[in-house]
Parts: sequence; C-alpha cells; structure tokens
Amino acid sequence: MTNIPVKERAPHRLEDFRYTMESCNHCGQCKWVLGPKTRGYDFAEICPIHKEFHFDAYSGQGLINIAKELLDGDLAYEDGMMDLIYSCTMCGACDINCKSIRDMEVLDTILALREHCVEDGQGPMPVHQQWSDYVRNNHNLYGRPHEARFDWIPLEASVKEGASVAYFVGCTAAYIHPEIARDTVTILNASGLDYMVLGPEEYCCGGPLWRTGQREAAKRQVEHNLQAIKNRSIDTIITSCAECFGTFRGFYPRVAKMEVKVVHISEIIRDMLAEGRLSLTSPVEEIVTYHDPCLLGRLSEPYVPWNGRIQSFGYHDPPKEWRRGTNGVYDAPREVLEAIPGLTLTEMIRNEENAYCCGGGGGVGAVFPEFARTTAAERLREAESTGAKTIVSACPFCQTSFEDAISAGERRIVYRDLTRLVAMALTDNGEEKG
Amino acid sequence: MSLPNHVYRELEAVVGSRYISDKEYILAGIRQPAPHRPTKPPSPVAVILPGKTGEVQDIIRICNKHNLRFIATVSTLIDFAFPTGADTVMLQMKRMNRIVEINREDRYAVIEPGVRHGQLLTELMKLGLSYPVASVGPGCSVLVNFACSSGDSHWEHGASRTNRYINGIEWVTPTGELMRIGSLASNAGWFCADGPGPSLRGILKGFIGHWGGLGVVTRIAIGLNGWKGPASLPTKGRSPSYKMRLSPDCHKVAIFKFPTLDQVRDAMIEVGKAEIGQSVMKFFNATAALLATESANQFWELWKTGLFQKELARPLYVYLAAWSPKELAYEEAVLEEIIAETGGEPVDDSIQDIYRENMDFFVLVGFLQRVLRLGGAWAPCKLSGDSIAHMFEIAKAIPEFMTQFIEQGQIFAAPDNFLIDPLEYGHGAHIELLFLWDRNLPDWGRIPMDFMRRSIEEDIKHGHHGTMPPRTIDGGRALGPHFSNVHLWAERIKEAFDPKALSNPRP
Repeated sequence: MTNIPVKERAPHRLEDFRYTMESCNHCGQCKWVLGPKTRGYDFAEICPIHKEFHFDAYSGQGLINIAKELLDGDLAYEDGMMDLIYSCTMCGACDINCKSIRDMEVLDTILALREHCVEDGQGPMPVHQQWSDYVRNNHNLYGRPHEARFDWIPLEASVKEGASVAYFVGCTAAYIHPEIARDTVTILNASGLDYMVLGPEEYCCGGPLWRTGQREAAKRQVEHNLQAIKNRSIDTIITSCAECFGTFRGFYPRVAKMEVKVVHISEIIRDMLAEGRLSLTSPVEEIVTYHDPCLLGRLSEPYVPWNGRIQSFGYHDPPKEWRRGTNGVYDAPREVLEAIPGLTLTEMIRNEENAYCCGGGGGVGAVFPEFARTTAAERLREAESTGAKTIVSACPFCQTSFEDAISAGERRIVYRDLTRLVAMALTDNGEEKG
Repeated sequence: MSLPNHVYRELEAVVGSRYISDKEYILAGIRQPAPHRPTKPPSPVAVILPGKTGEVQDIIRICNKHNLRFIATVSTLIDFAFPTGADTVMLQMKRMNRIVEINREDRYAVIEPGVRHGQLLTELMKLGLSYPVASVGPGCSVLVNFACSSGDSHWEHGASRTNRYINGIEWVTPTGELMRIGSLASNAGWFCADGPGPSLRGILKGFIGHWGGLGVVTRIAIGLNGWKGPASLPTKGRSPSYKMRLSPDCHKVAIFKFPTLDQVRDAMIEVGKAEIGQSVMKFFNATAALLATESANQFWELWKTGLFQKELARPLYVYLAAWSPKELAYEEAVLEEIIAETGGEPVDDSIQDIYRENMDFFVLVGFLQRVLRLGGAWAPCKLSGDSIAHMFEIAKAIPEFMTQFIEQGQIFAAPDNFLIDPLEYGHGAHIELLFLWDRNLPDWGRIPMDFMRRSIEEDIKHGHHGTMPPRTIDGGRALGPHFSNVHLWAERIKEAFDPKALSNPRP
C-alpha cells in the first residue's frame, strides 16, 4: 500500500496554546449557557464535569489552568490527576461558549493537554490504551475480528463497486449497533443512490484515539483510511456516526490534506427528500426531541489549519477562521424529522451549539461509566421536560450512553437513532423493520 | 504550605470527602493569575464546597480555631475573589445554589450564593419580574454582586444600585456567628433589610461591599421590578451571532451624540427629571466596539474606520421600556424634546441597528466578556459615585493623566472609553474608566498599577469622588480622608467582627 505522507498541519502542542492559557479571565462562561440563550434556573449549566464535581479544576477554565502549570513546570503529576483530565467528555461546550465572547481555543488546549500526558507516559487511561492496541491489531475499537466488520450487511444491500460515494460505517455501528448500519443501507437503497462500502479496507476512523490524546495512533488511521478512499477514487464519504463525521471534519485536516467531501446521512436524506428521491409516507406517531451529538453539531465544522502569529491586542495575523459551532449540522436532522408524517418534534432548552453532552464522549463512557450515566440522565431529564416520549439522535456513542441511563434509571423514554425513524417512515405501515 | 492533616480531617468531617480537596491539581484550577495581573495570587491551601449555612459556620469556626484565613467565592472574575495571603481556605459556594423563594406579591427573591444572573433573571421573567442585573456577565453570582461587591448595572437609571435592592440577609460573620438582618431578624420574613434602630446592611455592604473581608453571606433577598418584556428572551441565531430584539411596540433603543460632555450631562439630567427610560448611559466607545464585534480582528477592522470614535465619543444611550405602546409613544416624545433642547442628534444608523438587534445588552449584558477579547489585559478604574454633575467633572479631568499613557504607547488609545450611568432617575451617578494595555510590552505589569495610582492622584488633587477606595491598606489610607475617613470606620468594623483578621484581610 502506498502511504500518503502525513504532515503536521495544525498547532497541537501545549506551548501552541499559551495565548489561550494566558488570556483566561475566569469569567465562567465555559460553564454556563450564554445569557441570551438561557431560559431559566434549570438547564443553564453546560459543562458536565463542572456540574458533577463543582471544583473549578473540573471545567474548561480549570483544565487550561492545569495545562499552563504543567507546561511551566509548576505542577507535578500526582494520583488522581489523570482521573480529572480524562473525566472531561471533550464535548466542546466550553469551547463554543467561550468563543462567543473570546478568541481562545479551549478544547484544542484540552486536547493538547491529553496529548502531553500521553507523551509523558501518564495518559491515556488503561482502557484507552487498550483501544489503541485493538485498533492496531484488529482495526476496530472493540477488539473484534476485522473480518466480521461487515457481517451486519443485509443481503439485499445494493452496494455498487466503483461508485464515487462510500458509506463509512464506523466501528460502533459495525459491531455494537448494527441496526444503524442496516437502516442506513435501507435508506440509501431506497433513494437509489449509487454507493459502495470500503469493506476490509475500512479501519477505525481514529476519533476515539485522537480525543484521548493518542494522536500518533490516530494519525495512522487517517493515513490508512485516506489511502483506501483514494485507491477507490471516492469523492464523497457518508457517515451515520457523529464521531466518525466529526473526526473526518475536525481531525483529518489537522494531519492531512482532505480531498474527500464528508456528509452525514441526515444531509443525504434531506437532499433526497427535496429531490423527490425519497418519500416518507408511513406515519410515525411519536413525540420526539432531537439531541445534537457534539461531533455532528458544534464540533463538526471543517478544521482549517492556522499557524499565524498573535500580535498586539490579540490581532491574529493572518486572520483566523474560527470554529464556533455556527455551521454545525443542526438543520438537516430536524428537517428530516419534520418530514416524517405523524411525528411531533419538540426542542430542549440546550440545543444545537448549546446541546448538553450525552456523557459518553472523550472516552469517558469506557472509564467512568457511572459519571457517564449521570450525565446522560441529566440530558434525559431535559428531554422528558419537553413532553417527548422519544429521544432521537444520530450517534451510536450517544445511543449507548442514553440506553445505559434509560435502563439504569428505569425510565420510560426511549432512544431511537434518526435512521430508525426514517426507515420506519419508509415502510408501508410505519412498523419497525430491520 | 499545605493544610495540616488533622485540620483537613476536621474540615472533611463537615462537608464529606467529595467536597474538599487540597490536591495541587485542584488548586491549580483556581490559582492562575488573570491576564491583567503580573503575579500569581497566593494559592489557597484547600478548596471546600459547603452545601448549607451550618457547614459554612462550622468551616469558619475551624478556621478560627487554627488561625487559618478563609475566603468565599463563586466565580473568580475579579481580583478580590482571590486570597490576599498564604494559608487561606477557599470556600467555593457553588453547591449553595438554590432559589429559595420568589415572592410575587411582596416582590422579592431569596437566593443562595451559587445562583447566577442568567438563571435568576430568566426565571423571574416567566413571572413578569426582573431586577437590575449587574454588568458582570450572566454566569456570575447574583448574591455576590448584591451583598459583597459594588455591583453596578445598565439599569441604574430606571432602577438603582444593587445596595438599594438588598432586603433580608443571612450572614455568617468572620467568627462563625449566624446573623439575620432586617425583618428576618424578627422572624418577620425577608421583605426588608432594616429593622428598628441602626442597620447592619450598611456595615455589610455600604456602597461598595466588603469584598470577602467580613465573613460569608449565605442568603439574601433582593427586591424585584416588573418586567416589561416576554416570558423568555426571544434570542435568534447561533453562536456567536445571536440577536435579541424585544417588541418595538414597547421597547425602543436610541443613541444620540453631542458636541460636548456638558450637553450629554444636561440631557442625562433632563431625562431623569422627566422620569422616563429604563437605561440611560454615557457608554464606553472602545468597549462598545468590542461588544459589537466577534473577534479581535473584527474589532480592529471596525476601530480603524474611526466610526465609533467619531460617533460615540460623547454619546447618550437610551433604552425605553414601556407597558404599552401609548406609554412608549409618550416617552419617545419627551425624549425627542429633550434631545432637541440639549443639542443632540442620532448616531449613525449602523450603530443604532447593533443595539436594536441586541437588546440583551440592556437587559442582561449578555456579551460583557467581549471586553476582555484583546488578550484580557484590561482593568477598570474610578468606579465610584456621586452626583451626575460631579461624575462629568471627573470625566473632563481624565485626559490630564490618561493622555501621557496613550502618548507613551502604554495603553490602548481610547480616551473616551468611560461610562457614566445615573441612578434612580438622576439622584446620583456612577463612573468607570476602562483601559487596556498590551501584554507584549516589556514590563507591562507596571502599567495598570501606574495608571490607577495616577488616576487616584488626580482625584485627590481635584477633590473628586472618582475612585472607589481600593481594598488595600495603603489605598484606603490615601483615599479615605476624601470619603469622610471611611477607612478608619472600615478598620474598626473589621477589628470588631474579625478580631483575628482571618476573613481575607486587606493586603
């Protein structure tokens, strides 16, 4: 296989974020929904770790303060410190809220902090290290046999070799929630779109490795997947997984030149509905609320490398293109849901770029399952407050978090992936299928 | 120094192991210097998170027993929220975050320290109520702004300062005693801060607050106003380009410019005499440009056009909020007459549009921290209050000391970046001068101190009540004689309530 040379395109070391570390005024905006978007006492907090642990150290502000002390040699590693650093779900709510008012890179600093810990041999957590081993040996996050990656694929799938569009399934849909992959294929087939899958050449996207500070391991995934995509002359990747989507958009451009377009299945469905290539005819009588996954919403804007200088009074030379969550994929899933006959869509207070995390991101679900469950339960409480009976999202990691919390809390609300509802609306009678 | 193990265990027994830490990485999360400080503040020896008033009392008694200093904080945006010396236990009051009561009939809300402005205001709006949100940002503590610090707001013209809004107070003194002030002391409820005889409200808050130097306030009741807007903020758009426009039937923003500061003053006084307007201000111009833009680069592009310097050098901001279109029409007519009589004219439409589309600026100062965007090296000075006319005299004297800092390239060239906002329809006024400097300059750490010292010297020279007496011993002694020797009273009160000087004493 020919390797695509991967070069460093983006700042990623702790010292690259000194401006952010030294600019923080402790205003607290990384912990709270911005004032004009606040709707009352409840559901005003935005940072899951701060809500749970309360100490300032557990927040975007605290983590960048810790990063600075580590960088300056003012803080030594000690027991419990990795638990703190790896309890952050990397949801980026701090980052987006900070960037409403400041020119700082809070989440990138936290990413650099994790990478720094890995380089120092302190991170990641053992489970995350195991992920890396699994990915190296089995090309998936779960240590399952690579040859079983496409076992889910239905016989009737109309996969077309040579298509310029590929469906990138992702580890979690392939091995843990195969119904998402099956429904996605059902939808793609119904639309008549020519698409292919990468088959054995699809490896883990690398997202969970990137977000746990294992940048080098994640880069290897980038290198492999981009080569596989190039070998097949694919120009568009479709994902049904928010983690894969956000990684392609947010990480790949940091380490490689991205020449492939990445779209989410919700965008495909919306476009196919507009073009009349899909028709949702079967009523689905449900009151639902939509949860914006972090990596499909606020963190999904394409990363644009910037290596300029910050001059006097914060002037960025050359001007920097900020990722502030403005242009995440928010509308497409909502438009798709609203196109399903019989379905009623309600909105949570913390939505779109202010969505509260499901609790499972950043490797937290695997290391701190209790905390992940608590965070998911808080989100479910918000979902229930809208009157919804179903919480819908578009991320298999969110699905795991919510289903765990629903089951642990014996809640009546149910979780559905967006593709499930669309597949139901495609059938003759709206019944569950797949 | 670290906390002795046996003391840690005593404190841990009060709150439980989950809510106390002396781990260095926990302390690192709070001891960083803000970008305007050249030095790191003393690290606390432990952070503790009390959940109720009794726990606060126990913690303070333990601190007294072991001669440990303590400070209570919520957020740490301002310098006064940091320990002034070593061996300080930091109480972070975030778990005490309940809205205890909202009394619609008697119009007060009882809150704990952890309740934030964004939470309280939006909760009250659902009930048709509001209050003057301190201009600190929606994530800051309501109680701290009302009971412990100065807490000025954009609504002071049609409302008042926070000190006027305090009703009942529950206060743990520096020795751990529980004090209940006002009607609360007689078990008569929270509706009033003053009982028979001398009031302790003045001791605790006065005009400027105790800044953590007199124990811990655990609950307060604040008075409420009516809210003339909808039950929730009609915010549209996505970060960072939010728009929040209230119904033009009852809400109007108008910004005028005047040839001289005297004319701004006259217009401000006349608007007050007419008792119209919710918010009236001579607002900062560089700050306005920062609030109106979404990055430092955007700010520079705007600033280089010179528009804000030209149009907002001597502005009068007016936000009219009415119960009915008829009332709004009346206020508009009166305002128009006053502006014509005092020689004002509307500023450029592009500026008017910014405020029409972002009325959250007047309601809850939604983007306040954009002021910090130019690297965070920023500080306010003056901050005091007196009559409107006196505030304008102080403003006119600003160039006497500020110009040299600008000419020497030490601070950002924005000589008109000051605010004057009247209180209670003109019965008083408040002044703030914001200055920014470049952290890339060598020896930048001296700039804020030099600037503030010169500002104080100017005030003393002119006999101006411009600078709020600073919370330092030297600063208090320098300025105290100009404020009826307030420093002597403050020192005596401190000695009486805090004989061991443990409640974050002045440096």
